[in-house]
Amino acid sequence: MAATLCSRILLTKPGCLPLAQSVRHGSKAVTRHRKPMHILKQKLLAVTEYIPPKPSAAPGAYPSQTKRMEQESGLVRFLKKKVETTFEECKMLVVVQNNATNAEDMLLLRHRLHKHDIAIKFFPNQVMRSYLPSSQYRNMLPLFIGQTVMFVSKEPKVKEMLRVLRSSPQMILLGGCIENTMLSREGILNYSRLPSITTVQGELVGGLTLMTSQTVSMLQRHPAHLSALLQQYIKQNQPGGTPESTAPETTPKTEGAAV
Amino acid sequence: MESWCGVTLLLQQHLKILSAGLKTYELPQDYSGVVIPEKPKLKFLNKVPNFKKAKKEMKRLRDIQGPAKGATSFTYGQYAIVAMGGGYLEWGHLEMMRLTINRQLDPSTTFATWRVSAPYKPITRKGLGQRMGGGKGAIDFYVTPVKCGRLIVEVGGRIELGEVEGVLNQVARKLPFPAKVMSKESLAAMHQEQAEKEANNQNPWTFQRIARSNMLGLRRVISPFDLHNHGRFTGKFFNPSRV
Repeated sequence: MAATLCSRILLTKPGCLPLAQSVRHGSKAVTRHRKPMHILKQKLLAVTEYIPPKPSAAPGAYPSQTKRMEQESGLVRFLKKKVETTFEECKMLVVVQNNATNAEDMLLLRHRLHKHDIAIKFFPNQVMRSYLPSSQYRNMLPLFIGQTVMFVSKEPKVKEMLRVLRSSPQMILLGGCIENTMLSREGILNYSRLPSITTVQGELVGGLTLMTSQTVSMLQRHPAHLSALLQQYIKQNQPGGTPESTAPETTPKTEGAAV
Repeated sequence: MESWCGVTLLLQQHLKILSAGLKTYELPQDYSGVVIPEKPKLKFLNKVPNFKKAKKEMKRLRDIQGPAKGATSFTYGQYAIVAMGGGYLEWGHLEMMRLTINRQLDPSTTFATWRVSAPYKPITRKGLGQRMGGGKGAIDFYVTPVKCGRLIVEVGGRIELGEVEGVLNQVARKLPFPAKVMSKESLAAMHQEQAEKEANNQNPWTFQRIARSNMLGLRRVISPFDLHNHGRFTGKFFNPSRV
């Protein structure tokens, strides 16, 4: 059969089929394959493609003007309160770095420190970093890097703590805050070598009463010794005058005689 | 006794996990509004609608052309297969979907619903080796026409996307048109992105502008359908990159 040529040109109403229609029989509008487009339509689609907005600077060039405030989770806030109470209660706070400690070793350490009433506290670094700058301990920030542990206690028992730490070599002392003073590692060691309060008090008292005790001891000795000392003292003070040296000579003799 | 108590306390304290960092966990999804219906599985759809007398229909390919008008948004479910092109769903496709999804469903936590109807459009075929002419062929099978943007199957329940994504992707690949697995949020995001693209397009020449004002007489080569859909649809195909 000969191929029939359908020829149908509709009236040109606005919004109707296009003005020019092909009279040859072609495929329908909806086909299984992608129909070949008229070149002009192809050009139109190429011209009207989407162009995204170009940022004036590269994405990472300038820092963002708005700082993103991350909302702290409930756990972080809870831990912050705990940290606050710990810092308020305890006089001694020491930061120690723990490197690969066994659970067993940690338990033993805890037990030994517990005997001296020293507690071991673990706080995540994120919590410490958000709490410390707002408190008076902001200079402790550089201590909290990496795996750190805090030894806290109400009484500053540094000597006992150092003795316990000597047994676990992997725990490295970094620094701390003892009685509101920031101390580095050397500072803590020096602090431990300080004598106790009673010894210091004794020393102070001894220092104050040094002069009086010396005079007492001098007076208790033979009076000749005392007179000789005094003569020497006068000679030193007045190197020129000999008559002055003789005049006071008699007075100490009479004093010595009276004693 | 005191020391023993102290030791147990130490042990209890020590049993926590030690770390330098702090992990913040995402809150689990709130499934308070989710109700799992009595029959959570996909129901069986008939191959042939029950007419007394079946009528032959014209081809009417415009039921595949263009964007979908109905069933484009979520009703009860959270995740769905969305058609990204037009096509006909036959009974075989529907059965495949039903069996695959029902096999993977856990009826206590998940449910699925159809968003397409059972096949109702008759497709005629002439016998093998028949010459042209001699009237329209006999009805061979029935199909459901699907337009671009229509939801096919909706899945919901106390589940996350990752749980159903695998099954739905497997099913979507087998459909006769390109299909995507989307959640409520991702569908909304897609619409939002399209709107943003239209707003911040730096190209002053848009298809809509040129076609509406018939610049260069291009209405000669553009159909009213293209004009209406801004050149995003061609026949049954959809081009998502067009603005």
